[in-house]
Amino acid sequence: MAAYALLASRPALRPAAVAGGGAGIGLLAAAVLLRQPRLVPWALAAAGGGYAATRAGVHVVDGWAALAGAGLLLAGELGFWSAGDDPRIAVEGSLLRRRALTTAVLVSAAALVGFVLLGVAAVAASSGLVVAAAGVAAAVAAVGLVLRQLRAP
Amino acid sequence: MNAAASPKLRGYAVLSATGLLAALVTGRPELVALTAPFLVALAAGLLLVQRPRLQARVRLGSVRAFEDDEVEATIALAAGPAVERLDVYLRLPAEVVLVDGRNPVSLRLARGERRELALRLRLDRWGGHRLAPLHVRAAGPLGLVTWEAVLPGAPELRVYPREAALRRALPPRETQLYAGNEVSRRRGEGIEFADLRPFAPGDAVRRVNWRASAKRGELWVNESHPERNTDVILFVDSFAEARLDRTSTLDLAVRATAALADAYVGRRDRVGLIGFGGILRWLVPGTGVVQLYRIVDALIDTEIVLSYYWRDLQVLPRRTLPPSALVLALSPLLDERSVGALLDLRARGFDLAVLDVSPIPFTPRPASGLDALAYDIWALRRDALRHRLQQAGVAVTEWRPGVPLQGALEEVRAFRRHARLARV
Repeated sequence: MAAYALLASRPALRPAAVAGGGAGIGLLAAAVLLRQPRLVPWALAAAGGGYAATRAGVHVVDGWAALAGAGLLLAGELGFWSAGDDPRIAVEGSLLRRRALTTAVLVSAAALVGFVLLGVAAVAASSGLVVAAAGVAAAVAAVGLVLRQLRAP
Repeated sequence: MNAAASPKLRGYAVLSATGLLAALVTGRPELVALTAPFLVALAAGLLLVQRPRLQARVRLGSVRAFEDDEVEATIALAAGPAVERLDVYLRLPAEVVLVDGRNPVSLRLARGERRELALRLRLDRWGGHRLAPLHVRAAGPLGLVTWEAVLPGAPELRVYPREAALRRALPPRETQLYAGNEVSRRRGEGIEFADLRPFAPGDAVRRVNWRASAKRGELWVNESHPERNTDVILFVDSFAEARLDRTSTLDLAVRATAALADAYVGRRDRVGLIGFGGILRWLVPGTGVVQLYRIVDALIDTEIVLSYYWRDLQVLPRRTLPPSALVLALSPLLDERSVGALLDLRARGFDLAVLDVSPIPFTPRPASGLDALAYDIWALRRDALRHRLQQAGVAVTEWRPGVPLQGALEEVRAFRRHARLARV
């Protein structure tokens, strides 16, 4: 993700990509080495922020953003897996295989959704306010759903 | 089970909300594509999750065993809905070692599945060990929500100390009234010849010594020593112990007490127990195998309880310390309160013998310097304390690990043979 942001950015914005990507890698390494899962979201935010910074002033939508998002999710899943795993606990092989398969399916599905979203955005780019309103509604609904689940799991 | 949101759920929720709002503010669809995977993970993880209904129970192959035995423990699990990830951890005391099996373990239970996890455990030390609690933690498919529960584990596992076989026990000076294996110093009906005396009305004819009667011209009868039982009180000092690695003076004392109780019960003696420490315990003297089990059961609950308060021996019921009983104390002589109680017993006229379970081998001597000097002074003071007890007429001997208990008892026996009672 950090490498992609570095390669895809304009020369003027490369420092931002390097800073974001470097911070993301550093935080992820710290999360894994220190076994602190709470650092993983910060690592993802730093890497995502670095990528977003490289898109400033670019009017063309990046078609690979869906894969970048899926890559971020994969990094997050693997980061949480490594940081939260306790080596003292013996894990059954079938559970490991199932978890790896679940992660692969999830990342694939996420990439597919990302591509669909980008496609819809390209088609409805001229819709302006309607799309923005739908986006806000979706965001609010998503956050509300998450908070509700958090309150009563 | 208590539910909790994982750091992943909170992190993904915050990332999703931030990303979507940033996409709206900046008007960049890439940020939506960047955020969408986390929303997908949240939606999938929360929609697929099911509250687990789990039953877990721990069974033991045997609830009674001896030191160094191995026992089987089984954790039986039964799931209602499928549990994607289940962490199971049975907390084991330090004296119980896992030999075979996996603990803790992480596994998956399908819907309605029943599973048994077998553990083979080695029991390193005597005592009442509780294999508890059983910790279980279940997680949903993506680990966004976890449920935790602490369940009561197995019933108490009682591990008895291994007893050393004793060829002969230490005999008390005085015997009691009932029949036993100890030849009494009194005269009466028995097998051991004691003396001759003139015939008296009421004497049985079979006791007449015809050879002596013919020589003296009047009837003389044989007198004999009767075989009687004795009262023995085993006194275990649990005020303090010296420990090195996994062995301690208390371990040695408890094993020796079990061996002594076995030997005395085998001689049909009445045996009682006093556990003198932070917690004062006692068992009224009794005979038979039941009493032996009572003593061993009481012994394995013996532990060092740190306390600055103690009860004097005065609180003991009178029957616990019968007169003419042999009080056999096993003590590391580390605590002034125990030494005071032993001297008190001696002053009250009890036949007292002390096995000093030496803490010296459990305390390595410093190489040099003031610490080494302090160590030497401490060892000398221990010698002086033993001498003080001997001066009071107490048979005391030092018993070190590796020396057979029988050897230490023979030292006490030799001292008692030659020592005379002192007035204290």
